[in-house]
This record gives sequence, structure tokens and C-alpha cells, in this order.
Amino acid sequence: MKGSRRVLLWLVLALPAGLMVGRFVSGEALAMDLYHPSGEMSVRLMVLALLPGPLADVFGPNRFLRAWLAIRRNLGVAAFGYAALHLAIYALDMQQLSAMLAELPIPGIWTGWLALLTMAIPAAISFDAAMRRLGRRWKTLQRLVYPAALLSLVHWLLLDWAWGPALIHLAPLVIAWLLRFTIRRGRFVSRSIA
Amino acid sequence: MTFPCSARFCALGLAALALGLGAPAQADGDVTCNAGPQSGWAKMSKLKKKAWLEEWKLLKMQVEGDCYEVYARTKEGQSIEAFFHPVTLKKLVVFRRGQEIYRAEGFTG
Repeated sequence: MKGSRRVLLWLVLALPAGLMVGRFVSGEALAMDLYHPSGEMSVRLMVLALLPGPLADVFGPNRFLRAWLAIRRNLGVAAFGYAALHLAIYALDMQQLSAMLAELPIPGIWTGWLALLTMAIPAAISFDAAMRRLGRRWKTLQRLVYPAALLSLVHWLLLDWAWGPALIHLAPLVIAWLLRFTIRRGRFVSRSIA
Repeated sequence: MTFPCSARFCALGLAALALGLGAPAQADGDVTCNAGPQSGWAKMSKLKKKAWLEEWKLLKMQVEGDCYEVYARTKEGQSIEAFFHPVTLKKLVVFRRGQEIYRAEGFTG
């Protein structure tokens, strides 16, 4: 991706974070008010990073999907960025490390920590040099985003007990995977770009 | 397949759209208090004393469904969400990070 376009993309990706920080600094929002916006943004970006692969398998490589695939790594790194912001907000809300550690045994909390750690691996190797050096293993390690996304949804469900919003985020992935599964059964589809 | 905009910017726009959609949901767990019309409710500010008696640090009070909801920190530093009946101001149920840690006897809402 060209430098200027990448800058533009990252400005767009950083905009919601900027708004969140602004609301917190101005006193309009408490740290606890930002749990949902930051966490949901992370999940949405993960979903956006996971969608173009199966869609390209199903519909073939068109310009739109190629462009989407070209920014996929950025979306994944941004998803991790929002997860890290989510953790910073947690620290601001809890104020004491001891209070954070005391919550660690609660399922809704440790699933969140585990999701973040699982995401950290693919995020940490997202740069070109790591991609070259790891070769085939790179793709395998990137697949850790699947358990990370599932853990994030479990984390969300265990804290809110509201199924609707979490399932709405999962739905596009399930549809894309089902499409990929059914189409691939019929005919061979090149995965060269996905 | 053709697109009205440059493909890369189209993808960017789609991403921006997806990011903006959907107002963040608030935590609750669908607690119902059967509190009747709001005209019969006690003032929410009276919950401040309730929280003080519990030795909580009050973070936020709001109406959630037909309940009063209080976000607070206990003196041990635990982050909690408590639901109070808006008429009687009785403490009905308390959650800590999605786990129920208190429920008033006989309350099933």
C-alpha cells in the first residue's frame, strides 16, 4: 500500500480511539463508559479482518475484495490496538493493580486477558520482515485470531449476558464461513490470494 | 464487477461505515423491578445515601429498564453494578463483572 493511503487508513482507524480519549479527558465519559465502545471496536475490526478471506474464496478475486485483502493486516493490528486501549481503560477504571488481580479468577475477566494475549501473537508478527522470516508458519500463527475472536465473544457474553449484540457480530463470519464451505465442496477455488 | 468509487477507497468507506454502526450496548442482564409508573418512583438522588451506607464509592446512577442501577466500587476495590427498586429503594441484586454476588430474598426479576 502506498504511504499516503496507509496514513489515511490509519487516520480513519484511529478516529474512534481519538473520540474516546477526548470524551474521557473532557470528563464527558467515565473510564467504565468506554468499555463497550473500545471492546466492540476491537471485535468489529477482527471481524472485518476475517471476512475478506472466505469472501474472496466464494466470489473470486474482484477489485473490491483485493483492496479489502490488501488492508487486512492493518485491520488486524488495529483490532489489537483497540484491545490494548480496552485494557488501558480497564486499568483506569480499576485504579489499583491489586483490584485487577483480584478479579482475575472471574470467567468474564480471564477470558478477556486470554483473548488479548492470543491476539498479541498475530499482531506482533504483522510486519513484512516477520512474514518473510516465518514463511508458512506465519499463516498458521495468524490463525490464532480465530480463537481470539471467539474468546472475545465469550468474554463479552459472560460480562453482559446479552446474546443479541455479540451474535450480531458473529453472524457475518458464520455466513461467510458457511458460504466458503458450501461453495468449496462444489468446485475448486484458488486460494492463492486469500 | 464494477464499483462507483475506487476499490481501495470503497473498502475504506465500508470499514468506516461498519465501525460507526451500532450503538454500544450497556451491561445489565435484563433485570426487571416491576416498579410501575415513574410518577410513583422515589428520587434517584436518594440512592447516594444508600451507597454511602454500603461504604461504596459511587461512580454512576441511571435508570435501566424499570430499575435504578448504580455503578460503584466497594471499599475492597471491587467494581460492582447494583439494582435498586425505584419505589422502595430496596437493594435487589448486585453483579460483579457479570457474576451475581447478592440477591434480595424472594427477588426473581
